[in-house]
Amino acid sequence: MKKILIAENIIKSFGVGSEKRNVLDGVSVEVNEGEFVAVMGPSGSGKTTLIFALSGMDNIDSGRVIVDNQDISTLSEKEMADLRRIKMGFVFQQPTMLKNLNILDNIVLPSMRDIRKKGSEISANAKTLMGKVGIAELEKRDIAQVSGGQLQRAGICRALINSPKIVFGDEPTGSLNSKTSQEIMEIFSELNREGITIMFVTHDATVAAQTERILFMIDGKIVSEVQLPKFNGSELEDRIEKVRGEMRKVGI
Amino acid sequence: MYYKLIKNDFQKSKAVTLTTVFFVAAAAMLVSLAMILVINLTGSIDSLMAKAKTPHFMQMHTGELDLERLDAFAGGNEQIEEFQVLEFLNLEGSQIILAGSSLAASLQDNGISRQSEKFDYLLDLDDKIITAVDGELYVPISYMRDGSAQVGDRAQIGGKDFTVAGFLRDSQMNSTLSSSKRFLVSENDFEDLRALGSIEYLIEFRLYDLSALGAFESAYNAAGLESNGPTITYPLFRMINSISDGMMIAVILLVSILVVLIAFVCIRFTLLAKIEDDYREIGVMKAIGLRLADIKKIYLAKYAAIALIGAVIGYAFSFPFKDLLLVNIRLYMGESDSAALAPLFGALGVVIVVLAIIIYVNGVLKRFRTISAAEAIRFGMAQEKSITSKRMLLSENRLFNPNIFLGIKDVFARKSLYATMLVVVVLSAFIMIVPQNLYNTISSKNFITYMGIGRCDLRIDIQQTDNIAGKTAEVAKAIEKDGDIARYALLTTKTYVVLMKDGSTERLKIEIGDHSQFPLEYTEGRAPVAEDEVALSAINARELNKATGDTLTLLVKDKEKTFTLSGIYSDVTNGGKTAKAAFADDTAETMWSIINLDLVDNSMVASKAQVYQDSFGFAKVSAIDEYVLQTFGSTISSVKMAAYASAAIALFICALVTLLFMKMLVAKDRYSIAVMKAFGYTIQDIRIQFASRSVLVLLVGTVIGTALANTLGQTLAGQGIAYLGASAFSFTINPVLSYLLSPLLVLSFVMIATVAGTAGLGKIKISENIKE
Repeated sequence: MKKILIAENIIKSFGVGSEKRNVLDGVSVEVNEGEFVAVMGPSGSGKTTLIFALSGMDNIDSGRVIVDNQDISTLSEKEMADLRRIKMGFVFQQPTMLKNLNILDNIVLPSMRDIRKKGSEISANAKTLMGKVGIAELEKRDIAQVSGGQLQRAGICRALINSPKIVFGDEPTGSLNSKTSQEIMEIFSELNREGITIMFVTHDATVAAQTERILFMIDGKIVSEVQLPKFNGSELEDRIEKVRGEMRKVGI
Repeated sequence: MYYKLIKNDFQKSKAVTLTTVFFVAAAAMLVSLAMILVINLTGSIDSLMAKAKTPHFMQMHTGELDLERLDAFAGGNEQIEEFQVLEFLNLEGSQIILAGSSLAASLQDNGISRQSEKFDYLLDLDDKIITAVDGELYVPISYMRDGSAQVGDRAQIGGKDFTVAGFLRDSQMNSTLSSSKRFLVSENDFEDLRALGSIEYLIEFRLYDLSALGAFESAYNAAGLESNGPTITYPLFRMINSISDGMMIAVILLVSILVVLIAFVCIRFTLLAKIEDDYREIGVMKAIGLRLADIKKIYLAKYAAIALIGAVIGYAFSFPFKDLLLVNIRLYMGESDSAALAPLFGALGVVIVVLAIIIYVNGVLKRFRTISAAEAIRFGMAQEKSITSKRMLLSENRLFNPNIFLGIKDVFARKSLYATMLVVVVLSAFIMIVPQNLYNTISSKNFITYMGIGRCDLRIDIQQTDNIAGKTAEVAKAIEKDGDIARYALLTTKTYVVLMKDGSTERLKIEIGDHSQFPLEYTEGRAPVAEDEVALSAINARELNKATGDTLTLLVKDKEKTFTLSGIYSDVTNGGKTAKAAFADDTAETMWSIINLDLVDNSMVASKAQVYQDSFGFAKVSAIDEYVLQTFGSTISSVKMAAYASAAIALFICALVTLLFMKMLVAKDRYSIAVMKAFGYTIQDIRIQFASRSVLVLLVGTVIGTALANTLGQTLAGQGIAYLGASAFSFTINPVLSYLLSPLLVLSFVMIATVAGTAGLGKIKISENIKE
């Protein structure tokens, strides 16, 4: 199985002098192509920092991160931007949309940077994605005119617009109610079944239970992990119980 | 508590605060300077004219003088306080030698006079009435200014030796714009030199009441008294004395108004940005029940402090500059009686600036009322209205590079934000282009046609001599034979009586000849061509109450003849009261004549002028360029200075404000920038977006500024020019400079400022700005 992501002994600290604290304290992790991974942990455990470090949005102090065979610490700012745009997708907790662009324009934003692509193809691609996540009718809307769940779906479309190798998420369902949250998870599962690698942070056991590997973080270290079979819609209660059990074990 | 809050705030936003202080200081300095200069200038002119007892009405006259008739008129007119006739001995420039070099090249009508007894005194540099003893020569101050003479120099007039005993202020003829210059000698020396030149009489009156001047002028004209020469009145003397420095003050005032406006723009912008930053805090303060007035006070206190600091700095700086700019006024006009008051008025101006700022800030702070406590606390920022345009869609953009597109779209989406920068660019373009066009216009070869002077290579004046008609014919004959001369026009000025509708009569000096050869700029209508047409100068048209197409009845060869007014032109020559006609009349006495001519090869101007000057000693031959240079030279060079200074100021302001604006925009747009970065846009991409915003604003601003400069600016400049006597006026524009070079300069400054202002883009971290 090809490894799409390899992180080796990454250390990142915040603060200076005696206040200095390692938020990531020698984290190593590998993600296979097509895998669906969740990161769990209490507030301040470093899970969001890990996702930002793996996706190159934040610098690390030491260690290595290799995405699709490229060591991202050796990349220039421009090469990093290219990598992020072409090989990665990112879904934030908040919708993080640009206010003065409408839904469709926000979705095509990462794609439009590449002049080689045809505008009409990009738009068509975006519309297909929107249909897939169930917001086909919203393309002309302003971001203030749609609901949080709809915005999050748009955010997923934006993450997928360049057909990335891996999609990262930072609590992508964190600000949604449980019904909407479940709908979003169904979209993620569907995407994963289509072969897209997904790795996100969550604090919700129900959400985590629908992935196939769950990493548990405490104080900047990965302390344990749980492996599950790929989720096919059945036995959710059992899976949740497994996740909760491990949470209790590591003390989350 | 205020002190602490203000201090903290200053430390947090040093650059912005310093810039605002800078603009307030600049505005305060300029306003203070303008006030101080105005007070000094008007005070100096007033005190000079009071000490010298400048005549209220003066008629210059050459030829026979009937003193008895004048005495009788003066005795019979109750408005007259004092009356005198002075003699002014006109000399050739070549007859006056100062420190070894003659004034032959001077185009001024130089001459000598004696100190008068009753009024119109010539004063020394301490404003004392000069008493010249035999052998002493007092020289007009403009010759000190240009370095022609120093106290103690040897001087010769018509071969007679003099010592330069001092310089004199002449309340009538100080200005280079006035064409005559009076040297002062003793009574005896004057009599000795009398035979050397021709006497011109200055018939002077002082009235009890200056407001009766109009009535007195009519009475003088109606009495048919001596009038072979220009008439000049007190207000005109005042104006001539104030023009050069007045222009400078006008420019300073204009610039200071613009700088005050820019200070306002700066304050508005920083204040709104600050309010946005503090939005949540303001909401909290509102929520916990602080009164609006209390919140406002904190901000008001900060800007009051900025205004005060700026004002004090600006006021202090106005003093060294003041002395620099007052040199000229002091030299020509002497110390003003109200000089001590001037700093007070300067301070008053500064106080007005400070008050205006406080009132303005108070006005901007009104927007506090619209802040909802709940919204502020929940969102931490103003919820901008939905602003996506239905037309500009990224997904449908096929025209531009996406970065340029996003930059342009942002400008349209947040128009009111960019309006701030737009205003600055418009003002900068305006400040840059108007003085430049003005300079271009008044230094252009055609400008004199606005002044009542035809555009030609050489001009030969024949006046203040006997048998003018005969001598003119003599010159004309020589010109006729001269193959180097391409064309010429002979213009003869004669006096005619105008019969008014109410039966009264006025005297009118009409220049007769072919006016189509060296045409003037006509405000309305055209030059007279037919026998029964006449054109009037703007002042005459106003005084006679005539418009183009009206008729005018003149006494020509003792017969009444009706003329049609073919046009009106502006004129500064001969007190602005002239007329032009094309009919032939050899009966009336010629007052003076002028021959305008063009050479086949205009590189010969200087040598040809010399040839004619040598062969016709009675005439004054001047190359028109030289004439313009000597008459308007100082005005042109000060406008040139102003043009360069304004351009530099405009560029500086433009760059500074762009820099500031970009810095603030980067801070304001942290979030969008982080999102862009997160989705794979490079810093370079985002910089291009910012640059596109500036360039768009710049282009629109430059176009508006240029358009305004050529319409409103032209009108404004026209007011200034009208002051010089020309009424119809349009800019002569150097397109390369105005439409290409200036915008390119502004563009490069804005681009540099944009790059510098967006330097902070690299420091924006995605993780810190996308809050979860």
